[in-house]
Amino acid sequence: MKKETIIAIFLGLLFGGVVAVFISLKSKDIELSKNKVIAPPKEKVLSVNLTGIEMQPLELSEPADNAIFEKDLIRFKGTAAKDSLIIIQSPIKDLIFKNTQGKFDQEFPLALGENSIKIVVYPKEKQFRPQEKSIKVYFIDSEL
Amino acid sequence: MIKNLKNCFIISLFYCLLTSSIVVGQTPSITASSSPTVVVDKDIQQLKDKIANKVSEIRKQNNKAISGFVLNIDGNTMKLDNKEGVNQVKFDDTLTKVFKVLGTTKKEIKSEDIEKNDYAIVSGVVADNIITANVVLIDENFLVESGKITEINKENFNIKVLASDKNTYSLDIETSTKQYMINIKTLLKETIGFSKLKEGDTVHFVVKKTGTEKNNEYSAYKILVIPQEYFIK
Repeated sequence: MKKETIIAIFLGLLFGGVVAVFISLKSKDIELSKNKVIAPPKEKVLSVNLTGIEMQPLELSEPADNAIFEKDLIRFKGTAAKDSLIIIQSPIKDLIFKNTQGKFDQEFPLALGENSIKIVVYPKEKQFRPQEKSIKVYFIDSEL
Repeated sequence: MIKNLKNCFIISLFYCLLTSSIVVGQTPSITASSSPTVVVDKDIQQLKDKIANKVSEIRKQNNKAISGFVLNIDGNTMKLDNKEGVNQVKFDDTLTKVFKVLGTTKKEIKSEDIEKNDYAIVSGVVADNIITANVVLIDENFLVESGKITEINKENFNIKVLASDKNTYSLDIETSTKQYMINIKTLLKETIGFSKLKEGDTVHFVVKKTGTEKNNEYSAYKILVIPQEYFIK
């Protein structure tokens, strides 16, 4: 086999390899951005040391489960982990806010009749599991 | 003449004395009779108010609300089926009012208009596990849940969600479904389309329950997506 042929085969294999690696990386990126679950970078997971960290549990002081109200506007009061993301959802309202102070006190509208409401707390430390509570409260108009 | 005048003077003096004595005699009798009446009236009113407040307090304490799908309705009683079991409801002809909730308004209906499988919300006083209804509202039943999107079917516009209650929900995203996503920088919600949904995203959803669904398959009423980027930023 001539020297030139060996160099050509070698260069061909090298080029082919580079192209294959490039295509593989690119397709992975496209796939991830389109559909798949993005895993957090390994170094980020390892760098967070969760031992010794205690998370403040979600405590809802108001409203009570199954409470009856004569007004269509109530307040959600309670405590949860500082800087967590809190979502309070009902069929008529989505309330999204950052719990910057640890305590929260938010106005929330009620629909006539039964109101199924879910409150979920996503802690700032993303490795902690979200905390949640589901309640039902009733708005029965006093004029009824 | 002088004698006449004298008689006239005596008569008028006597008359004056008589009338003044009547007035003097009447005055104490007025104060004696009206003052206690006013006091008694006030006391009665206070007592009435106290009783009314107490009754309203007790009613409020015993006033409960329950809800569920109507299992059966028979004359003055109704059975409701919910997670906790079966609740018995009693109608009071003079007291119970029944309404149908139509969005933000309500329309008064008769108890005979309630049908099997209607979703009823009852407010009233509970005694011996029977609730005597003050108000009955016929409304829609909503389920509010959240979880992670595990599967997206782009042909059928359907997503599968593994919820925090460990159930997997199959949600049809209709054209009427309100679809929102949280902007991870501003934390404001933005309206989105189906193509923005990704496997692994967290989703809060609201569905209407009719009580006849199978395999947790619902048509989504509203979804609110937290993109997975929020959790890796």
